[in-house]
Amino acid sequence: MGNQWKLKEIVLMSILGVVFGIIYLAFFLIGQGIRNILAPFGLAPFGYEIIFGIWFIVSIIAAYIIRKPGAAFTAEVIAGITEVLLGTAAGPGLILSAAVQGAGAELAFALTRWKDYRLRVLVLSGMTAAVISFAWHLFYAGNIALAPWVIVATFAVRVFSGALLAGVLGKWISDQLAKTGVLRGYALGKELQKQREQGAA
Amino acid sequence: MISSINPSIKAIAVLIPGIMLGFTFDVFTPLLYFIFILIVTFTMSDIPISKWLKFFSPFLIVAASFAWMTILYANQTFSYGKVLFTIWGLEITEGSVITGCSLALRSLCFVSLSLLFALTTDSTKFMLSLMQQCKVPPKITYGILAGYRFLPSFREEMEILKQAHRIRGVHRTKGIKGKLQQLKRYSIPLLASGIRKAERVAIAMESKGFTGERERTHFHQLTVQKKDWMFLALLIGGLAVIYITSYYLGYLNIFGKQF
Amino acid sequence: MDMHLERSCKNNVNKGQRKPVLAVKDFSFSYENLNKPIFHQLSFELYERETTLLMGPSGSGKSSLALCLNGLYPEAVEGTSSGSIFFRGKNIRDFHKGEINQKIGIVFQDPDSQFCMLTVEDELAFTLENRKIPNAEMPKRISAVLQQIGMDGFQKRKIHELSGGQKQKIALASVLLLEPEVLILDEPTANLDPVSRLEFIRLIRSMQRQFGITVFIIEHQIDDWFEIADRVLVMGSNGRIIADGEVNTVFSENKNRLREEGVFLPQQFDDCLNHQNSKSIPTSFDKVIISIENLSFKRNEQMILKNMNLEIRHGEFVAIAGENGAGKSTLLQLMAGLLKPTNGEIYFQDVFLHHWNEKELRKRIGFVFQNPEHQFITDTVYDEITFGMKLNEESEEKIKSTANQLMQQFHLIKHRHSNPFSLSGGEKRRLSVATMLDETPDILFFDEPTSGQDAQTMEELMNIIEKLRENGTSIVFVTHNMDIVDQVDRVIVLHQQKIIYDGIPDNLWGRKELLKKARLCLPYRMKSHDEGVPVYDLVY
Repeated sequence: MGNQWKLKEIVLMSILGVVFGIIYLAFFLIGQGIRNILAPFGLAPFGYEIIFGIWFIVSIIAAYIIRKPGAAFTAEVIAGITEVLLGTAAGPGLILSAAVQGAGAELAFALTRWKDYRLRVLVLSGMTAAVISFAWHLFYAGNIALAPWVIVATFAVRVFSGALLAGVLGKWISDQLAKTGVLRGYALGKELQKQREQGAA
Repeated sequence: MISSINPSIKAIAVLIPGIMLGFTFDVFTPLLYFIFILIVTFTMSDIPISKWLKFFSPFLIVAASFAWMTILYANQTFSYGKVLFTIWGLEITEGSVITGCSLALRSLCFVSLSLLFALTTDSTKFMLSLMQQCKVPPKITYGILAGYRFLPSFREEMEILKQAHRIRGVHRTKGIKGKLQQLKRYSIPLLASGIRKAERVAIAMESKGFTGERERTHFHQLTVQKKDWMFLALLIGGLAVIYITSYYLGYLNIFGKQF
Repeated sequence: MDMHLERSCKNNVNKGQRKPVLAVKDFSFSYENLNKPIFHQLSFELYERETTLLMGPSGSGKSSLALCLNGLYPEAVEGTSSGSIFFRGKNIRDFHKGEINQKIGIVFQDPDSQFCMLTVEDELAFTLENRKIPNAEMPKRISAVLQQIGMDGFQKRKIHELSGGQKQKIALASVLLLEPEVLILDEPTANLDPVSRLEFIRLIRSMQRQFGITVFIIEHQIDDWFEIADRVLVMGSNGRIIADGEVNTVFSENKNRLREEGVFLPQQFDDCLNHQNSKSIPTSFDKVIISIENLSFKRNEQMILKNMNLEIRHGEFVAIAGENGAGKSTLLQLMAGLLKPTNGEIYFQDVFLHHWNEKELRKRIGFVFQNPEHQFITDTVYDEITFGMKLNEESEEKIKSTANQLMQQFHLIKHRHSNPFSLSGGEKRRLSVATMLDETPDILFFDEPTSGQDAQTMEELMNIIEKLRENGTSIVFVTHNMDIVDQVDRVIVLHQQKIIYDGIPDNLWGRKELLKKARLCLPYRMKSHDEGVPVYDLVY
């Protein structure tokens, strides 16, 4: 990573990290609510699994807007570093997790050789991010000690969350943003502009 | 003092034990290391205990709920030993309790390592050190700093948005769809202004002659000294000693295998 | 201090041997394709040691031009351009990356988005690092430049805690560290209070004198600038230069053309503006609409307003003035029921403000925010205007007719399906006001609605306000613009948590000490128009 990026793209990735850091906190409260309901049954961690997809959204938004190889990975790592800078209790471990998730999200785009940014690929990207990050957590958080059905169930919830909260929501937010006209200088905004011109012609 | 340790070395020093802890499933090893981190935290830095507790305490609940889930649903490898009691038809074994507590302690180790880093590190210095020691391109480090700078202005903008929405009567919209719209009404203006700021600040930086070139002079020249390596050795060595101790005392458990 | 004399001397020296520093030849630029250029076939030159002003309506591409001049555009936005720009005879494309940026420095409009570091000294060091200045030399240079801008000792301060005026000075300092030959100022004072603006202009003048920099100023509103300008260029909405010459000639010869283009004429050349209080509205107001008793407000343990008493009457046009951070916006938010007082009471139409039903209150109180985008919550202009009515479950017919009438009145018909965020600055401002008028409110608050707007938008806004007042709506306006303050029924000046003046504007202008304390200046009509005297001496 380095010189293929424009400075404004890197600042954008960092700002996505800040904004979604804030939004994640809002989601955290929702997760907390679900957790409190599930807690007595020992299913509390499912509460976090449901909102886990929001972690990957920065990857999907950045890849969808910037459309360059490595965007999903770099954006997630940069967002991770930004969140470490925001303080709270996030340490360098977060950067490591972010790198793993970003690599997961990048996988889907790599499979399509960074040419296809349709919804299905974005959803797939959310899912691959979920798969890879889940594997990482089996080790890092010790989830491997859980009963097989719990592992399968949490896995399913996380993949679903990745598909929906990262893939679908990420595309929706980016499209809404593109409509405001602020993405004029990025690949997504240019594509819309081209469509509009073709539509007009 | 930990705050004077080179940030990159410090990051590595808390990362490696974090990964190495991922192998253990006994109570003794993470507990000992947790105590070790606490000693390091409060003897080698001036973090006030009250501040530390404020950040740390929420994670006690998270860790406890995680432990409880593991105790209930540990798989066969980890539910060894005799049955202690039964709840909702689930047999709670000695092994599952040990594994649950171990995982909870492990996550507390992560949190305290993170805090040790976050509460003693200056964000600018961390970025500069990533650039100077880890050879991260200046474009990335300065780009991140430029985005991070906007945090206070986003907070202010959130407040104004809340007020503006109130004026428009947004909170009176009903239903789940209305709530979803709510998310959009916050995120789109925040992101839109964020993207514009990103463009403006990038241009301002380039207009001051920033090219992203690696060759540049440094106002804050960060170096790696002997004390930085000693700190790294302390955190990793500490864990190694604890691993060995727990092996000799017969506690060590790696992926369910007792040694 | 006789600036006029100095300027004429300089002109004499330069005449005949004016050396061009920057030459623009047939330069066109556009974001997408060259069929819709932002500006078209521009040709002009900037001469050594001269100060040139560029004006033009908003949207005419002035800021894009600034970025083209130092080579950042079109590359940064992947735009396209044709023609060429020469710096001292050499095409700017032939310079190495970053090299031309160091010769041509820019100070931008927004004080909040031109820094990348947290502290003053780190930000200034950033420029020096880009220039590969050895780090042993940095502290010396930093302290020298801070001394020049009058901010010595600010090294360790956090940038986001500085005032707007201070931030702009730091931005200037970081550009001066480039030791540029040309200094471009892109509306650097649009967000500053009157005194900070004059201070900044004075600073530019002294820097120009001291270092002989070529200065290029881009501005909507040039009243305060044109005393230091040798020459003025006017860009029309068609993206071409429509006037070029000495200040006096340009404005006396092109008056009507410029007015049509929506360019702010310097007031000395503008015979259309009426600086008297608008007398069309009856000036006796007796019914009180808002009354404030012993109001105090604290934020994070910091006292913002203290023991304040105030009444606003029906149909009144009130301006709230004072320096940045004096609590003007806070007072407005309290009166609109957006904040709760820490102590004291606010009554709206004789009822405790917080006893009002929220829905009823929002119908009667309107609020226009400084940044119109904050108010937008839907995807199209039409939805935006009808949002409140739909919420109040008005009939389909009423919604349609009101919306159409508002879009007509605010010239938004052709944008009815556009996304509010994609409108131009002036259109956004009009829409933000229109959304407040689906029901005629009893009182309408404006939080600095005119900052950064061009002449036409401002005039439109004042016309709308005039109409609202005819319907009996009270208007409360927070503003830095002293010419607007001059037109209101009553002005309230805030200073250090308190009201230090409450009365008609005419009586305020005589209180020099008070104006100085509150960092306000006189409206244009009150300033002396003697040519030779620099305007800054009349600040206080």
